[in-house]
Amino acid sequence: MNYLLHLLILLDVYIVVAMSLNVIVGYVGLLTLAHAAYFAIGGYSYALVTLLLGWSFVPAVIAAVLVGVAFSFALSLASWRLKGDFFVLFSLAVQIAIYTVLWNWRKSGVEPGTWENLTNGIDGLNAIAKPLLFGHQFVGLGEIAILFTVIMALVGVISWTMLNSPWGRLLKAVRDDELAARSLGKDVRLIKMQAIGIAAALAGFAGALFASYMAFINPMSFDLNQSIVLLSMIIVGGVGNAFIGPFFGALLLLAIPEALRFVDLPIMVAGEVRLMVYGLLLVVLMRWRPQGIAGSYRME
Amino acid sequence: MVLSTNAPVVMSANGLYKRFGGQVILNNAAFEMRRSEVVLLRGANGAGKTTLLNILTGNLEPDAGTLSLFTAAKEEHFQFPRSWARKLNFLDHFTPERIARRGVSRSWQDIRLFPTHTLRDNVALAIQNQTGESPFAVFYRRRRIREEEAQIAKEADALLVRFGLGGRETSSADMVSLGQSKRVAIARSVLAGAKIMFLDEPLSALDSKGINEVMALLASVVAEHGVTLVIVEHVFNIPRVLDQATTVWTITNGQIKVETPEQVRRQGLPTESDGVRPWLRHLAGTNGRVVERELPGGALLSYAQLPNGSGRAALNVKDLVVRRGRRPVIGRPIGDGREVEGLSFALPDCSIGVLQAPNGWGKTTFLEALSGVIPVDRGTISINGKPIQDLATWDRIANGLGIMQSRDNVFPNLLVDEAIKLAGVAEVPDHIRPFLGRRVAALSGGERQNVAAACALFARTNAVNLLDEPFGMLDAKAIARLQGEILARNGGATLMLLPAASN
Repeated sequence: MNYLLHLLILLDVYIVVAMSLNVIVGYVGLLTLAHAAYFAIGGYSYALVTLLLGWSFVPAVIAAVLVGVAFSFALSLASWRLKGDFFVLFSLAVQIAIYTVLWNWRKSGVEPGTWENLTNGIDGLNAIAKPLLFGHQFVGLGEIAILFTVIMALVGVISWTMLNSPWGRLLKAVRDDELAARSLGKDVRLIKMQAIGIAAALAGFAGALFASYMAFINPMSFDLNQSIVLLSMIIVGGVGNAFIGPFFGALLLLAIPEALRFVDLPIMVAGEVRLMVYGLLLVVLMRWRPQGIAGSYRME
Repeated sequence: MVLSTNAPVVMSANGLYKRFGGQVILNNAAFEMRRSEVVLLRGANGAGKTTLLNILTGNLEPDAGTLSLFTAAKEEHFQFPRSWARKLNFLDHFTPERIARRGVSRSWQDIRLFPTHTLRDNVALAIQNQTGESPFAVFYRRRRIREEEAQIAKEADALLVRFGLGGRETSSADMVSLGQSKRVAIARSVLAGAKIMFLDEPLSALDSKGINEVMALLASVVAEHGVTLVIVEHVFNIPRVLDQATTVWTITNGQIKVETPEQVRRQGLPTESDGVRPWLRHLAGTNGRVVERELPGGALLSYAQLPNGSGRAALNVKDLVVRRGRRPVIGRPIGDGREVEGLSFALPDCSIGVLQAPNGWGKTTFLEALSGVIPVDRGTISINGKPIQDLATWDRIANGLGIMQSRDNVFPNLLVDEAIKLAGVAEVPDHIRPFLGRRVAALSGGERQNVAAACALFARTNAVNLLDEPFGMLDAKAIARLQGEILARNGGATLMLLPAASN
């Protein structure tokens, strides 16, 4: 039962991350490989302000969201000028830069969370505060699962409301034909900043949830593979709709490694097999269902 | 139409100068544009029509000159080159969105509707300053957005009905016909509050009925909204535009010559070329015949049936439908757009044919579909009775298809002799020999076209040759030689794709 609750909690977190990535990929039409980095920024921000400054859950989550938004300018400013492959490469650079900082901002023998050893490198940060709401500390798996499922549903409603508003219509127009949108007087730069900022905020939020649940984070959870897995989630689930695509994508891609646990694979090859299955899934979908399981937009 | 000289000026430019590399496109170009004026903008290929359009719609900065807009309450004046301070201030950039917000709209030859939106949303998007276009407004101004959306939908639907698109409000933009798409694009500009509309070939690929409909709509837009139109149109459709034009701008040597339609008519208008037909008649000789057949979308198929033909079809296209995305490019939507009528025609054995089609008809798509580069949605393509639509490109070649594209038709980094050998040409034509040691990229356009034609025609005798604009960039002597080669190397049928008004 605990195992299933653990999976449900992770599913909630990854659905939120996938929904946020869907805003950039499915609604603005930009392929990014930096989303794990934004997920990490949220997680580390939450961990540092709770550990160092003793902030409680809600202010710490808000801080994680705001730091995510601040870092979103790196991508949104690039999106003003870069398109297609160049934007993908730039996002890859952002992912690698942030991951490298997380990995290397450490010094042996110095207290983690200090300026000299901010991230503690591969050893990561531990004893991160669990969720705390209305004076109640969420410690048990069951109550965290309920809390996170409610939060995920709320984020889903918010995301759905925004993306089905005239703003969502405008985002899709920019995705379909940026020049035509500009020629109708639409401020495409501002629209991209808004969308990428909101996506980074949601990723930061999910990162904070992740850190608060795991109580430990290190850079391994936010590497390039993770960005690729997140991208796979929304491609498999389908982009261009606010909730259903990311939901199915996260569900399927979380289910695959868990299913592989029941196959007695050596630990050294399990990770590679998981990536192979993701790759196979993408190829199958590309051939027979290019818009993804529940997508409403076909990526070219 | 006659324009009142008292009409207020809506846009003016002085001393516009633009060069690309060493080539001067605009050189001290100047004009004044007045309210309700209908301008026909014309000029030879490469004269600078698109460059001018791009500058006047904020898509391109000229190297020098001034541009003034009087379309909004506050006048805007742009001086080029822009000062470094203005370049640094990203709120003061010369951009398409800034010009559009001043009431300048643009339509493209390929229309550029938002394909995943309905027609209603395509039009609704044009309205400026919508409350709901802020991401958070939906949470704190929900009621206002709902009311505004209802009003926008009402306005958009009313406009669609007025433009003859009633009942199609919820149709997806990639599922409507070309003529309907053009009407939506105009409706979009009207709802955007355009004071000046730049229209790039609005009549291209339309049949006679479609042209009448679009011209009537444009006339009503001018009469009812006082909009100024600047229309760039293909030579083929210029007489239709002249009927409504008040002014003609002709770009020559980088300058704009302003004339009245009467002056232009007195000089004589270029008409639809008949240059291909005399050649076909000549080819058919006394015993053969020339057959002409109109195809949907304003295309004309003409072929000379040479003597000694067996009469069976060398190339047979039946019910062909090819799509780009969901939009049928080859094949015409009928009824409510759900059904598509495929393209069908046949070229008999021993024939030389020409398919003349306007820009935007889908010639490139047609060639790619016949070549096997893009998949066919429906229908059959047969060579000498053998279906080839499911074969890979190389298998189609092996089955007797020869292809020459209009562009990128020779590998630029190869030497000419390498290109000739790669194509499998055993006997190099004499006129190609002087180029053999040269790199293809170093050849002139005409020389390159000669090499491409040699690669396409001299490698083997094909059952069907498909030649896309084979005479482009060739002088009269080279055209005559190529015509002779086409005739000599015609193994079954040859189909040439040419623009509608090609000479």
